[in-house]
Amino acid sequence: MIAVEDLTKIYGNRAALDRVSFEVPEREIFGFVGPNGAGKTTTLRILAALLQPTGGKAFIDGSDVTKDREKVHTRIGYMPDFFGVYDQLTVAEYLDFYAACYRQPKQRRRKIVDDLLALVGMTERKNQQVDSLSRGLKQRVCLARALVHDPAVLLLDEPASGLDPRARVELREILRELQGMGKTIIISSHILPELTELCSMIGIIDHGRMRATGPVHDVIARLTSGRRLHIRVLDEKDAALEILTPLPSIRHVEAVNGTIEAEYDGDEQTASDILLALTQAGIRVSSFAPADGGLEDAFMKATSEDVG
Amino acid sequence: MNTATRALWNPIVAKEYRTRMRTWRSPLAITIYIVLLGGIGWAVFAALIVTTGFGQGPGILGQELFTFLILFQVALLAFITPALTAGAISGERERQTLDLLFVTPIAPFSIIWGKLLASMSFVALLLIISVPIFSLVFLFGGVDLYQIVSAFLVTAVTAMTLGFVGVAFSTVMRRTLAATVASYGAAFVLLAGTLLWGAVFPTEVDASVTTLPAPPAITLVSPVIPLLTIATNVPVTGYGVRYKNVNPNGGPGILNSSGGGAQYCMASPNGGVMCQSGVATKPGFLQSGSATAIQTGLFQGWQYWQANVVMQLVISLAALLFSALMLPPVRRFHFRGRRAPAPQAA
Repeated sequence: MIAVEDLTKIYGNRAALDRVSFEVPEREIFGFVGPNGAGKTTTLRILAALLQPTGGKAFIDGSDVTKDREKVHTRIGYMPDFFGVYDQLTVAEYLDFYAACYRQPKQRRRKIVDDLLALVGMTERKNQQVDSLSRGLKQRVCLARALVHDPAVLLLDEPASGLDPRARVELREILRELQGMGKTIIISSHILPELTELCSMIGIIDHGRMRATGPVHDVIARLTSGRRLHIRVLDEKDAALEILTPLPSIRHVEAVNGTIEAEYDGDEQTASDILLALTQAGIRVSSFAPADGGLEDAFMKATSEDVG
Repeated sequence: MNTATRALWNPIVAKEYRTRMRTWRSPLAITIYIVLLGGIGWAVFAALIVTTGFGQGPGILGQELFTFLILFQVALLAFITPALTAGAISGERERQTLDLLFVTPIAPFSIIWGKLLASMSFVALLLIISVPIFSLVFLFGGVDLYQIVSAFLVTAVTAMTLGFVGVAFSTVMRRTLAATVASYGAAFVLLAGTLLWGAVFPTEVDASVTTLPAPPAITLVSPVIPLLTIATNVPVTGYGVRYKNVNPNGGPGILNSSGGGAQYCMASPNGGVMCQSGVATKPGFLQSGSATAIQTGLFQGWQYWQANVVMQLVISLAALLFSALMLPPVRRFHFRGRRAPAPQAA
C-alpha cells in the first residue's frame, strides 16, 4: 500500500532524509519512531505530496507522490502535528468545510459529519466552537477531518503528543477501530510503549536514516540481542550476584535499587536454568521476571549507534 | 456544479463569508466607514456653504462635494483593503491550516480566488452602502449618472488592485504583519508614489504645442487624476507636464490651443509653470469646458479613467498570476537553479 524507496531530502548541506526505504502493507499500522529532527515529519510531508523529495520515490497505493499529487490526495488523510483550526466555526461547520473541500456532495455532507463525530465520540459537541475545545478534543476533531473523504491511508504525525493518558487510550481505541475498517495507518510518535501495543510494524529513524524497519517483534529481537531479567531476592543480594556472575549464559549483571538486573543469552530454558541455579544455592527468590525493555531498548540502541 | 460555478463559489468563499461576518470587526468596520464618509460629506458641505454659499450655483457645489467624497472614499479603501487581504494566505500559514487545504483537491489558484472573492465582496458591500451618501450629490446637481458610475468603477478597480497586490504579498511573506506593511507600502506607491513620479519626472513638451500634453503614463496608475477628471469633467492641467520655452518675462504667457480651448502657461513664483484656460478664472482642475480625453502619449484618445482601469487590471492580473505561481507547496519552477550538493555517504 505504501512504498518508500531511497527517499532523500536535502536542505542546503544537511540531509533531512538520507535514502530512507520502507514498505507498509495494506491494513497495517506502521509506527514511525525517532528523536526530534530525525526526519519523521519530512517523510510524512513527502508522502502527503506537500514536499518535493530531492531524490528517491514514494508511492501511495501505486501512485507516485511526486507525479500523481491529486490522486494521492484523494487516497490519504493527513493529520499534521498541529491542529490547524479556524476561529468562529463550530465542530460541525469545520468538518463540513473540509468535506466540501473534498467535493463531497452537499446532501451527503451532513451524514458524513454525523458519522465521523460518532466515530470520534464528539456528537454532543457538534455545535461547540472548535477553538474552544480542549487539546484532546481538538485532536479528535482533526482526526475526523482527516477522514471526511474516507481515505484508504492515514498519515498521522504525532497524534498523541500533549494528550493526557485517558485521551491517549481513547485515541488508541479509535485507531484500532480504523484499522478494523481497513485503513492503512502510519503514525509517528514518541510514546514508545503505546506504539508497541498499537503497531504491527515499526520504523526507527535517526538523523535522516532509517535504522531499522519491519514487524515490531522482529525489530526488537534484532536490536536487543541479549534478554534481560528482573530478579528480587530476600536479603541475599550479594550472594545471588556471586552465583549469577560466573554463569556462562549471563552477559552482565548488576543490582539496581534492590533489584538484580541480569542480561543473558538464550531462551526460556536458559532463564529457568538461571532460576534453578539460584534456588539450588539456597537463595530465596521473591520475584523472577523477564524485563520488558522492548521497543524502548531497541529505540535507544538504534539511535545510539550505527546499526546500518 | 460546473467549473465556472465552482470557481465562483468554492468552499473557501462560503467559509470566509461565515467567519468574517461572525466577528465584531466587520460590523465595526462598516459603521466606521459610513460614519467617516457621511461625516466628511457633511463637513465639506458645511464648509462650502460657509465659504461660498450657493453663490457659485448648486451644480458647482454638488460637483465639489462629489470630488471630495470620491477621493475620500478611495483613501478609505486604500486603508481598508490591504487589511482585508494581507492576511489571506499568511494568516492560513500562521494558523497552520494551509497544509490542510493543500492536501484537499482544491487547487492553489482556487484558494487564492476564494480569498480574493470573499475580500472583494466585503469591499463591494462597502461601496454599495456608500451609494445613499453619494446620492445626496444629486440634490445639488452638477454630476450625472455617467460620472458616478465611472467613478465607482475606478474606485472598485483600485480596491481590487490593492486587494490582489495584498494577496500577492500575503502569498510570499510568511508573516501577516510583514505582508500588511508591504501591502500598505504598495498602496502608497500605487496611489501617491505614481503621482509623485509625475511631479518629479514630468513630461517635457514645448510650450508651443497645440495639444494638451498628458502627464507620464505611469501617473495614470493612481486613481486620483482620473477621479478628478471624472468629477470635474475637465482634464487636469499644470501637473505632470513641464513646458519648455516659456516666456521668461512671465508676462502674458504663451498661448496654447488645446483640444478644449485656449490655454495660457506662465512661470509660477516657485519656478514651475502654471497653465490655465482662457475661459476659466481658476487654474487647475476647476477649469471647465475642456475635453477629458488624453490627447498625447500611450493612451491617446482614451479617457483618463479608462487608462487607469486598464493599467490597474494589468497590475491585478500580474499580482494574481504571481500569487498562483508562488502558492503551491510543490512548485513547477524554482528561482535557484543550482541544486544543493548531495550529502556525504556515511
